[in-house]
Amino acid sequence: MGTATRTSLILAAVAALAGSARADSCTGLTKKGGKYPVCFDLGNRVSVTAGSDGFGGAIAFRQIIHFDDDADLVWKLEHQVGETAHAGGSVGLTALLYRGRYMRHTRDGHLVIPIGQPKKVFLPFDIGGLVESGRVTRQMDGTYELGIVKTAALLDLWRSRDFRRRLAIGPLARWDVTVSPRPFVLGHHVVSPFSAGIANLHVESANGLTVADLSVEAGTAWTTDSGWRPEARAEASLERVVIAVNDRPIALVLNAKYATATDEAIASIGARVVLFQARDPRVSLR
Amino acid sequence: MGPHVSRSGTGSAFAMQVNRVFDGGRHRGAPFAPTPQTMRVVSVALAAIGIGLPAIAFADLPMMSRDKPVQCAKDTDGHTWRIQCDHATKVCLYASADELDSEAHHSTKPLERVKECSFEPIDRAALTAQGYAFNPGRADAPYGWTRDDRGRVFQVNFDLRNRIYFGAAYTPKKILENPLESTRTSLDFGLLVLNVRKDRTMHRIRLVEGGVHLEPFSAELVLAHYDFSRKFIDPLLRITTFFGEPARHDLTLNLGMWTEVGGLELHRTARGNAQLWKHAVAEVTLDLWQSADLGSFLRVRTGMGLEGQRDEVTGYHSALVAQSAVELDVVLDDDGFHNLRAEVEHELPRYFVEMGETGKLAQRLKAKVSYEAIVLAINDQPLSFKLAMGGEKRDDIPGLPNQWAFVMDAGLRFSLWAPPRAHL
Repeated sequence: MGTATRTSLILAAVAALAGSARADSCTGLTKKGGKYPVCFDLGNRVSVTAGSDGFGGAIAFRQIIHFDDDADLVWKLEHQVGETAHAGGSVGLTALLYRGRYMRHTRDGHLVIPIGQPKKVFLPFDIGGLVESGRVTRQMDGTYELGIVKTAALLDLWRSRDFRRRLAIGPLARWDVTVSPRPFVLGHHVVSPFSAGIANLHVESANGLTVADLSVEAGTAWTTDSGWRPEARAEASLERVVIAVNDRPIALVLNAKYATATDEAIASIGARVVLFQARDPRVSLR
Repeated sequence: MGPHVSRSGTGSAFAMQVNRVFDGGRHRGAPFAPTPQTMRVVSVALAAIGIGLPAIAFADLPMMSRDKPVQCAKDTDGHTWRIQCDHATKVCLYASADELDSEAHHSTKPLERVKECSFEPIDRAALTAQGYAFNPGRADAPYGWTRDDRGRVFQVNFDLRNRIYFGAAYTPKKILENPLESTRTSLDFGLLVLNVRKDRTMHRIRLVEGGVHLEPFSAELVLAHYDFSRKFIDPLLRITTFFGEPARHDLTLNLGMWTEVGGLELHRTARGNAQLWKHAVAEVTLDLWQSADLGSFLRVRTGMGLEGQRDEVTGYHSALVAQSAVELDVVLDDDGFHNLRAEVEHELPRYFVEMGETGKLAQRLKAKVSYEAIVLAINDQPLSFKLAMGGEKRDDIPGLPNQWAFVMDAGLRFSLWAPPRAHL
């Protein structure tokens, strides 16, 4: 199986929507009987991306924590480490040290209200949190914007037991600062003490070939140089696996983002190559 | 299968079904449950909420002990029941093995977080003849959890020393000479707060913990903190006194260590921005008091730190800092709802090169006290109210008045994780 698997070049792209004809089977079969994966685990991988916004990479991994005594409860943890994109030259560097999204999924969400006759209220959503630390963006003037921390409490209205879908909203807090490298001086700070909100829509196809994500942040932020000001930013991305080489998927990545602070809209297109990836458990190559 | 009597009312349903459990369906006598109203008992969940009322006034039905065995039995309708008998008091509690719907009529799903039960035949008639009483109850739940009348489980004990948290607060500020100083808001966060106990040692880890205050702007951040406390069994000194009856007095030194790396303080004053980089601090701690679970303590600590300060008046200066503190960290109740922290800290930075008006030696005095109480739990994740007060007097930052400034803030914190506290 090894030879067949290693040498297989798979055209895995096709239907744009989740659940293609092969969704019920994650293992493809060549005419000679060789097996190859047609489903991929998007959440556990080391990837590099080359695109119009530069060259970069990221490490991503996911965990699901189960509880023996409560089969209904899972914690879904998503981690991204060392996400970078560098275009060379004086601009075009973005990097993120860590992003974590932790969602607690249970069928029986509840809130206990102590007013009057105490009541336990069913909540039709999961709760969780978003944590980001160490975001660096190089600006046109040579300074850097350092995102020290960004955090949000999330309510997932489109809850699921896995990572395939999410419609999460919640209050957002963040603290950014501009940094001049030479001499090293911290400039103005931007703080949003939960005065902004975030909405995040995330959809993955069942076979892991397509993933779409849309995030919108809007609200007010306080800056040390100009006080309170309205701010909004939005980012959308679409990733589609179009080919796999030696069972390692290569995806087309489209990205667009806009921020009112800089009044910039940036779109990019690129290819993402997965160097290492956890095998989707539904794939059987034996 | 006999007639399904559970339509006639919740209380009767329980009673009839349980009668059938215990006598295999032969006995059709009067229900032994008091009334439907009593059976339903919908005094839900004060436990997971209200300040000061953890785990009380929750439900009238008694709860099965998590430490005693539970038997399971099926009635003639195929419903499973959990039964626990106390042979000392001759009282047996029974509860459905399923969660019930809002009308308490129908099962919705199996109970969560119940212990294993053994399926053994129960001879109710024989037990009754021996003087056993059968009462409705709530099924068992693990330590730190309870159940409502429908069998739904929820957490009522929280360890705020194991969590990820973020919060926002309103912070009015007053400087002694200027009581009309502007108000401000703040946010605080801790990306990982972790207490790990191993035998007689408590390891405490904090990653990326800090806060930001607006107007006037200031911020604090610590990338990594680690300290440990140890409970020593053998005393360092045993002193025997012979005044009157001889008596032995043990002197135990519960020594530990306290470290931080990557500390940062930011201040914005009339004379510009100042950054204080606390590269590393190492201190020795002496616990003057420890709780049995090492979750609470009163300690003194002292040690040295290395820091660098950059401001727009004097530039960059490095300093060695001698620092000492007294710290109190107490969980006031067993369920972790009330948490009190206090700290008085003294720091003496000694600069390698003279720093403007400050000279070579500066001084920082800080005192703060905070109280945090859980007010609500959303999906078993606590929302807490925090009240904090602090004072500071320092002469190291150009532009900050060398006088006591006091701050008080009140706000909310949302915590993720916060498992039940360690059960001694």
